[in-house]
Amino acid sequence: MKIALFIPCLVNQMMPDVAIATLSLLEKLGHEVIFPEGQTCCGQPMTNSGCFDEAKNTTLKLLNAFKGVECEAIVCPAASCLVAAKENFHEFDDSPEAKEVIDKLYELTEFLHDISPIPRFKYPFNHTVSLQMSCHGLRMLSLATPSESMGQQFNKVEAVLQGIEGINIVYPDRRDECCGFGGTFAVDEGAVSAKMGKDKAQAHAATNAQYVVGFDPSCLLHLDGMIRRQLLLIQTRHIAQIIDAAL
Amino acid sequence: MTQSKNHADKATIFCRDENRVDWHNKALWTLREKRDRAAASVPEWEDLRQLGSELKLHTLANLSHYLVEFEKNCQANGIHVHWAKDAAEHNQIALSILAKHQVKKLVKSKSMLTEECHLNPYLEKHGIEVIDTDLGERIIQLNNQPPSHIVVPAIHMKKEEVGDLFHEKLHTPKGESDPTRLTRAARAHLREQFLSADAAMTGVNMAIADIGAVVVCTNEGNADMGANLPKLQLHSMGIDKVIPSADSAMVLMRMLARNATGQPSTTYSSFYKGAKPGGEMHVIIVDNGRSDIMQDKILAESLKCIRCGGCLNTCPVYRRSGGYSYNYTIPGPIGIAVGAKHDETNSIPWACTLCGSCSYVCPTKVPLDKIIAHHRRLKAQQRTLPFGKSSYMPLVGKLMSSPTAFNCAMGSARIALRVLPHSLIKPFSGAWGKYRELPVAPKSSFDTWYKQNKANKSEAK
Ligand code: SF4
Repeated sequence: MKIALFIPCLVNQMMPDVAIATLSLLEKLGHEVIFPEGQTCCGQPMTNSGCFDEAKNTTLKLLNAFKGVECEAIVCPAASCLVAAKENFHEFDDSPEAKEVIDKLYELTEFLHDISPIPRFKYPFNHTVSLQMSCHGLRMLSLATPSESMGQQFNKVEAVLQGIEGINIVYPDRRDECCGFGGTFAVDEGAVSAKMGKDKAQAHAATNAQYVVGFDPSCLLHLDGMIRRQLLLIQTRHIAQIIDAAL
Repeated sequence: MTQSKNHADKATIFCRDENRVDWHNKALWTLREKRDRAAASVPEWEDLRQLGSELKLHTLANLSHYLVEFEKNCQANGIHVHWAKDAAEHNQIALSILAKHQVKKLVKSKSMLTEECHLNPYLEKHGIEVIDTDLGERIIQLNNQPPSHIVVPAIHMKKEEVGDLFHEKLHTPKGESDPTRLTRAARAHLREQFLSADAAMTGVNMAIADIGAVVVCTNEGNADMGANLPKLQLHSMGIDKVIPSADSAMVLMRMLARNATGQPSTTYSSFYKGAKPGGEMHVIIVDNGRSDIMQDKILAESLKCIRCGGCLNTCPVYRRSGGYSYNYTIPGPIGIAVGAKHDETNSIPWACTLCGSCSYVCPTKVPLDKIIAHHRRLKAQQRTLPFGKSSYMPLVGKLMSSPTAFNCAMGSARIALRVLPHSLIKPFSGAWGKYRELPVAPKSSFDTWYKQNKANKSEAK
């Protein structure tokens, strides 16, 4: 399948390893991967703050980077950016070209579960991982049933990782409570955000897992800062890095 | 209460006592866990939520029809119905009814609406003694505080603090903190109040149009004590409380207590459809801004709320910032949804990470996270953004929309993170660095890596 990578600004600048792992794993799965130029922020920091006027130019720049790009899917290793891009594209541009882009947008886990399942992993991963079920992926992209919901239970993240031999998947206490990042919330509401992050980091560490594994880089970045501040014995990893290492 | 402080300031103060935060957090999370177990015991839970949502939407869409039907059927049952456009009118109506009967003492039960209207101080100013009779309400009334939660109003107080308060006000033994003994003391004290009251007033959980009745749900039976003892009974309700039929009440009642405290139903769920012999029953129907909320399609859905408090219990921010940080009578997600307009600091819509847990917990599917995000947009449009956002957001917008400028800025931030000692940049990195270690910055960005390693080999344009 021909895939265009959507690498949000945070991943591009602060977590290039996540982008490299995404690219690498998609190629190992036999996909042809391109990285369209001119990508920028999805506009989330602005639209989340209510500032739609300020978000417009940014969002449309990103949309333009994908318009007319020949590919079957646009894959992004960051759930909340993906959700924001989808919603913002729709908000600012309702042309057929925009719709074409929107319809091809997938979060990485979603893509690997729904569109192109991994047939077989090559290498085992003999570690315990504590899954960070970040809010936007969970409640807006339906990557798994949120704990509040009593309906049909499913979990795409677990389903994708379960194929890896030796992996032991666990969850922190209060399995999908928000980690407190919330974009500008981390700065505007510093005290509450930090307390939420502290509690979450401790809950992950209490599982005795080696890694906190998640699909949302921003939450992982926030948790990483909390983990190191408290000198906890656990490390953050993006799901793409785990999968890439096992392929 | 200092009204001028924004949510973040008040939350920062609350967070200083971490033990208290942990305790508050845990007490409320326990309710969420009880709720999960109760909801899971109903196989058709998600269908009920859908039904609850649709039935509230249907009623709201035909509100005037159902209100008129409710009024007509109430009158047929001999109930006096009054209409109040705002809090002031509500209070005047209540006072005039009480004055006519020369009421000296009023016993009141569970009503967030009368809190919203600030009825107590108004009546007290006019010489009427008001006694809140729900245990939690009575505790905070004795402590001179408003509720900090809509279902468990004194949740912020530890039992030792209640003990001290009761020692001072009800003369219980010093140092008594046993909940059973404290409750017993409160009960004895309240019994005297019930027996000497001239009138009773309650809130309304549901108002049933086709039979002209109001439903009041409590766990302590105090609303019934109040309503049944004195001759005069008053019930205050928002226009959003009306529902079509007793059947629809059953749908909501199956969820109300389960979602609030995990109980299958409240201990007492009473239907009042007329005065007792020789008595008088009044219902006051209040708008107080609700029809304004209905003008906005997104905000209107907040009127589906049945006030179970579930969204407060699940909210990770509420649990760690306390009810008094919200600058409105109703705190938490639903408090932001219905109170954002009244918050003079314009900060409460940002007291939220938009995690969406509230919307999934809500029995009537109030899209709380969407409503909160919408409030932010409205504030931006009205140019009432907090945290200096209105000054820096245009800059961020400019920066982000230019990949070159943005990458350049991020590039220098990365270099700063790599080269400068963290102690040097920490003060500049604001709240992030205050509470967390700064990110370990990579050497280069992905697009630089890509250009060096991939671009020539792939077909990227
Ligand atoms: S918004 Fe929903 S969850 Fe919150 S109090 Fe109202 S009914 Fe309960």
